Amino acid sequence: MTSRRLPAGGTWIDRSQPIGFRFDGAEYEGFEGDTLASALLANGVVGGFRSPILGRPRGIFSAGIEEPNALVAVLEPWVDLIVPAPVVPLVDGLVAASRAGVAGLADGGAPTHARHRYRHVETLVVGGGSAGRTAATRAAGNGDRVLLVDERHVLDDPPTGPDVRTMPNATALGVYDDGYVVVHERVRTTETIWHIRAANVVLATGALERPIAFAGNDLPGVMLAGAAVAYVERFGVAPGDRIVVFATNEWGLAAAEILHATGVDVARTVDARNGEAVTEARGEAGVEEVAVRNGDGTIEVVDADLLVISGGWNPNLTLWRSIGGGLRYRDAPACFVPDGGPSWLSVTGSAAGDLPASVSVPFVEEGDDALKFVDLQRDQTVADIAVTLENGLRSVEHVKRATYIGTAVDQGRTSGVLAAEIVNALLGEGPGAQGPSNARPPSTPVPFVALAGPYGGDLLDPIRTTPIHPWHVERAAVFEDVGQWKRPWYFPLEGESMEQAVERECLAVRNAAGAMDASTLGKIEVVGTDAPAFLDRMYTNRMSNLKVGGIRYGLMLGLDGMVLDDGVAMRLAEDRYLVTTTTGGAATVLDRFEEWLQTEWPELRVWCTSVTEQWAVIAVNGPRARDVVSATGTDVDLSREAFPFMTFHDGSVAGVPARLARVSFSGELAYELHVAGGHGLEVWEAVMAAGEPYGIEPYGTEAMHVLRAEKGYVIVGQDTDGSVTPTDLGMDWIVNPSKGDFVGRRSLRRGDTARPDRKHLVGLLPVTTDAQLPEGAQIVLEDTGRIPMPLAGHVTSSYRSPALERSFALAMVAGGHELHGRTVYAPLPEGTIACTVTSPTLYDPEGARRDG
Amino acid sequence: MTARSPLAERSGHLERLGARELVFLAQVDVRADPSTAARLGFPVEPNTVVSHPDRDILWLGPDEWLVVGHAGTAEALVAELEASLGDAHHSVVDVSANRTVIELAGPSRHELLSTACPIDLHPRSWSDGRCAQTVFGAAQILLQEREGTTRVFVRPSFAAYVVDLLLAASDP
Repeated sequence: MTSRRLPAGGTWIDRSQPIGFRFDGAEYEGFEGDTLASALLANGVVGGFRSPILGRPRGIFSAGIEEPNALVAVLEPWVDLIVPAPVVPLVDGLVAASRAGVAGLADGGAPTHARHRYRHVETLVVGGGSAGRTAATRAAGNGDRVLLVDERHVLDDPPTGPDVRTMPNATALGVYDDGYVVVHERVRTTETIWHIRAANVVLATGALERPIAFAGNDLPGVMLAGAAVAYVERFGVAPGDRIVVFATNEWGLAAAEILHATGVDVARTVDARNGEAVTEARGEAGVEEVAVRNGDGTIEVVDADLLVISGGWNPNLTLWRSIGGGLRYRDAPACFVPDGGPSWLSVTGSAAGDLPASVSVPFVEEGDDALKFVDLQRDQTVADIAVTLENGLRSVEHVKRATYIGTAVDQGRTSGVLAAEIVNALLGEGPGAQGPSNARPPSTPVPFVALAGPYGGDLLDPIRTTPIHPWHVERAAVFEDVGQWKRPWYFPLEGESMEQAVERECLAVRNAAGAMDASTLGKIEVVGTDAPAFLDRMYTNRMSNLKVGGIRYGLMLGLDGMVLDDGVAMRLAEDRYLVTTTTGGAATVLDRFEEWLQTEWPELRVWCTSVTEQWAVIAVNGPRARDVVSATGTDVDLSREAFPFMTFHDGSVAGVPARLARVSFSGELAYELHVAGGHGLEVWEAVMAAGEPYGIEPYGTEAMHVLRAEKGYVIVGQDTDGSVTPTDLGMDWIVNPSKGDFVGRRSLRRGDTARPDRKHLVGLLPVTTDAQLPEGAQIVLEDTGRIPMPLAGHVTSSYRSPALERSFALAMVAGGHELHGRTVYAPLPEGTIACTVTSPTLYDPEGARRDG
Repeated sequence: MTARSPLAERSGHLERLGARELVFLAQVDVRADPSTAARLGFPVEPNTVVSHPDRDILWLGPDEWLVVGHAGTAEALVAELEASLGDAHHSVVDVSANRTVIELAGPSRHELLSTACPIDLHPRSWSDGRCAQTVFGAAQILLQEREGTTRVFVRPSFAAYVVDLLLAASDP
């Protein structure tokens, strides 16, 4: 191919720094400062692209982000799946391939370092042209911290100053409320997402040249006038040898002079203001000849390989519009200019409409409408718009959705206003009657790898662990995710299956002792003279008459009367309680406490403080629990008489200050040991060592679930789903309607919440004792064998019970309280399981075991 | 027996960051009406710290403060605060184990924090004697600027995440 590089010139390039690159498999050379597009043009590659739908040959059309044709994938040294060639800076070793408007997925991981940064400035300027530079310099003069970003890789004459920073290769993706702007910067393989907070945002985003729709306007060799000038001036590249200029404005015609000065043969200028027009561009793989309508109406055919067009300029207002800035039409430059907008956001320079005068010529009458392209990336033409209008659509927004004009990678930068003006013209309305369709962030496609930044792998979401976690890891625990927490699920011995491990852990608790890390329980200290009254309002039962040193289980309801969370309250002093929440409910409950205190009952003298992580909690359960805690070493009298169920004592365990609480989630004799977080691991180790002679085993959440289910203790969020009342759970005993108002009380009195056919918690015993119901299985009252069957409920928890030596389940079944003793059915693909309905409390219903 | 700090396993990571864990500082959460707190000399300007030789008092909210003292002094601090608050409506809770503290030193510490902390850490708005409750990535943190260092208070369960994210961010 012949070189199109001019012998001299090119303000952006450094001719002493040649750079090799590959494009579509061929080797080329360009210069430092080139873009991929300018380097391709310099090598004589004008075309070589294809349109996505029609497969028509396309060439480099522009010199910026608005490029609709020359889309490429960058393969090395970074990966960008689809990007306009004019914004790819040429770097050594660049490998790129053309893309017909559609991106593929990258193979493997991108060789990219992605990071995020936060910055605060008084003034952010978007765009480094002369207006942007002026705004930056003025702001710096006021003492502002100034950041100027520009998507181009070269900034002419950048402003300087102690608190002024300029950032090339940086695209503002979106402008959001209160001066929050997200910027994507790429420097070789480093992608940075900048989160900018600016007191003032100045958009100096310039203007985009407007194309004109005429037949054959998509041929390679048709180029925007500003782009042709840019290739000459910035890169010393002549994009053609013999050119025709078609313009609606003085600026476009002046471009002819600039091109002519470089030695290019200007074959013809076509001035729309004199009634002249290009009626068709013709050629096989690119422009070969141009049909021109003269001012007198005659047609003339001119040989040319480059057709330079200028239909006027549109302020580049993608960002402005994405934050809700308005538009109004201005006649002289025949374009839409900014209107209104938030006080912290301003627009300057050509983006504000400081543009040369132009007439509005969206399309040329002559020629085949189906060859007058409007959106080059969507292959949509004047004919396509005409069809949508014939079908009755009128709004530009509807036309956009019918044709997809403006929805491609370039987001309608060249087609948006053009399409609107064609709609206006075809509907017989004047220029500017309707503006372009709206714009939304991101302004430019951005790789997900950049947005993800470092937040992948283990950093995708925090992994929370307890102080005892290192022991669990050492003991090869299998972990379960509970919210962000990693909790031991079970502790398999070598060669043990999950079922075997869970059985061993359960039997240890039932027959000897087990220890569980319960540190993840939410914990809140509720302090103040009104703390008793406050808790009476938050829980269904009375907490105000709990004695100091006592513990009481409590249920918390939503306003709808449905169970929201549960836990225990320990009364530490007359005016002080420690309440526990479920692991997942900790934040919700504290927020709820604060909400009621701050918005409904500000008169209550109560403060709430989260102490979830202040305390590590070790639950020692089992008939030998007393022996184990005693052997661990404590100054607390553990005897049944001195330390009854549902009380606590402050003292020490293993030489460490501790709170000991007799609460049980297994039905066995149990002590919860609360110690400061930093002591959690050492006390756990002490418990395990002291418990060894008694056969202690660590147990995980699965065994905990089995043990509590055998006792019919519900897990909020597993057996309940936000539609379950205490009555549904058979827990009327915990609701005290006589104590005064509490959250959810009113809803419990609704007729619907007392309906007898609501789903109730029941136990299910499969008739075949080893048949295990899947959780979520549907329950029917009659096994008709005909689908559909009336559904009566569903299984919420299902386990094999080592203590009962059979499988069992908890379920929510309609009218279940009245069904005890009846047989119900779970129809499953592999066969129906018949079950007997029972009370949910299957193990030790008398509670004989809790005192050891 | 010895207590174990939340970042004991990540001391090597901290070293690479030019950071260290300040273990077992006494931390006491105080809730009281602003007028009560002002009487005790607590900071009432948002996000500021009043420092005494034996303690820092950090403003957390209009009615919440964190009193930070030397390791081992929590019990004495609680007793003293309870006594001085007397009959005023208040809450004093020992939260020494509820957060651990990462101390960042070195001139690039604010740049490092700005990788995942959205507040303005430029000297124009962040200097010695300031504190702020904010986030680092997805973790809630409390920041305090103190004598040429920045303290990051973080709940123990999130501490490893914060250190790992700091390390990922410090990778140039």
